[in-house]
Amino acid sequence: MMIEIQNLRHVYPTGDEALKGLSLAISGTSPVAIIGQNGSGKTTLVKHFNGILRPTSGQVLIDGESIESRSTAKWAKEVGYVFQNPDDQIFLETVRKEFEFGPTQIGMPEERIKERIGLIAELCGLEGKLDMHPFDLTSTEKKFCTIGAVLMMDPKAVVFDEPTCGQDIEGNRRLCGIVKKLEEMGTLCITISHDMKFVAGNFRRAIVMCKGRILLDGSVEEVFAEVETLKQSFVSPPPITRVAQGAGLGKTVFSVEAFIRAYEARRA
Amino acid sequence: MDKIVVEAKGLGFRYRDASGKRKALDDVSFDVREGEFFCVIGANGSGKSTLCNALVGLIPHYFAGRMKGTVLVHGADTRESTIGDLSMRIGLVFQNPFNQLSYTAGTVAEELAYGLGNRGVPREEMVRRVERVAKLMRIDHIVHKNPLELSGGQVQRVAFGSTFIAEPSILVLDECTTQLDPLGSEEIFDIVKELNKSGVTVIMVDHDMERVARCADRVMVLEGGKVAVIDSPARIFGDPDILARGVAAPDYVAICRALKDRGYYSGDLEVEEESTIAAVKESLSK
Repeated sequence: MMIEIQNLRHVYPTGDEALKGLSLAISGTSPVAIIGQNGSGKTTLVKHFNGILRPTSGQVLIDGESIESRSTAKWAKEVGYVFQNPDDQIFLETVRKEFEFGPTQIGMPEERIKERIGLIAELCGLEGKLDMHPFDLTSTEKKFCTIGAVLMMDPKAVVFDEPTCGQDIEGNRRLCGIVKKLEEMGTLCITISHDMKFVAGNFRRAIVMCKGRILLDGSVEEVFAEVETLKQSFVSPPPITRVAQGAGLGKTVFSVEAFIRAYEARRA
Repeated sequence: MDKIVVEAKGLGFRYRDASGKRKALDDVSFDVREGEFFCVIGANGSGKSTLCNALVGLIPHYFAGRMKGTVLVHGADTRESTIGDLSMRIGLVFQNPFNQLSYTAGTVAEELAYGLGNRGVPREEMVRRVERVAKLMRIDHIVHKNPLELSGGQVQRVAFGSTFIAEPSILVLDECTTQLDPLGSEEIFDIVKELNKSGVTVIMVDHDMERVARCADRVMVLEGGKVAVIDSPARIFGDPDILARGVAAPDYVAICRALKDRGYYSGDLEVEEESTIAAVKESLSK
């Protein structure tokens, strides 16, 4: 999967210019995080990846094909989008129906749908809850229900918008598992997040947005080393990284193990 | 800090809908003192949001279900008070800000003033408060916008403002910065800390353990609707059993512990960034 963005501008009907001409290429299967301050254009950008929003000017190409060439429904099997607020997405009476809806719409054979339900329910921790009403799920489960509904379509790429919002440790762990599994399955995972621990621990590449433009784009190590530039977009590195930076260990670390290695190197 | 402003005694609650198969809260007792910063943590489903709803009177007045025990706010039983009266004393900022706004107001300014109108605050006073709160929350540039046109982060700031504007002496915050970027949410917490310093009592539910450790005078851990423990952040996060309760210690504790295990450090398990940096630096010099 290759997503190419060329000089993309987006102006909302209110006149707000959310994207001010940005270019970007995302390819391969290694997970990509999009971070940056509120109102920097993150959600506006990702909504162009499957045509929910259309460019005011510039180009969006999915595997070389212009986003303008198909309707959003027709793009859904290429790029899945999981909404920030689960209540914006859920509309059926059972988890099972939520899971079946998307694949049925894109013409996935019934046998394959049945097969996938088991797999996706397990991945999302909803095995025993397929016949429950989504609104009787806890807020965490509801989020995983919307993630599952999108993964059911087996898209080539999937976009998560703030998936860690309101998740506890267990939910976070499950989410990390899903990001990992998607890479193994060859599905490109693009995630908007304000949770820097989550970003540092699970993503290779981070794109930092600021005021409708791209401020930084690189490996998470490169990006979180740019402490001063990050401030422009209201982002600060995760706690372990900040302690290592503050204590002058001279390395961008994200885990306690990496912290200790950098610490021991400094002592030696 | 001796006067008790919120007191729960044997508080229990079971929702009437499908989620009510088990008790959301079960025999919860604690008190919060005037001016205290009291944090509540626990896994999802441990009863944190239900507790918030009970503290401000939405339980039993709004949510259907069976409530046991009592909640006293400034000594008054929430059962015998109206939500309107309670809201002038104890304000709740919702977990999902989209659920908090009235959506009947045409502008952010009207949204902010919405609750005041219902409480009979005179117009000049309303205008004065809207101006002050908009400035405090840094939304003064969008007061003329339609609330439906705002970003998630802006909605969260408006939701905060619409609670602050009643000037309650007790604030209940239910994971209220999930929509904000990291420094934006720090900015809101600086405001909350200022309010707390000026005497406002804060009861906060949050998943960000670094923040809880930094802010809290005391922390209560809920587990399956029951109180597991109430103690200082240092003692709670220093307890190795804490992971078993579905909560994590701040990363600072993990760093100190790893250094300790390897014999590089022998001091306390720090729970804040600055003190951890100082501890790491000091241990390096030895």
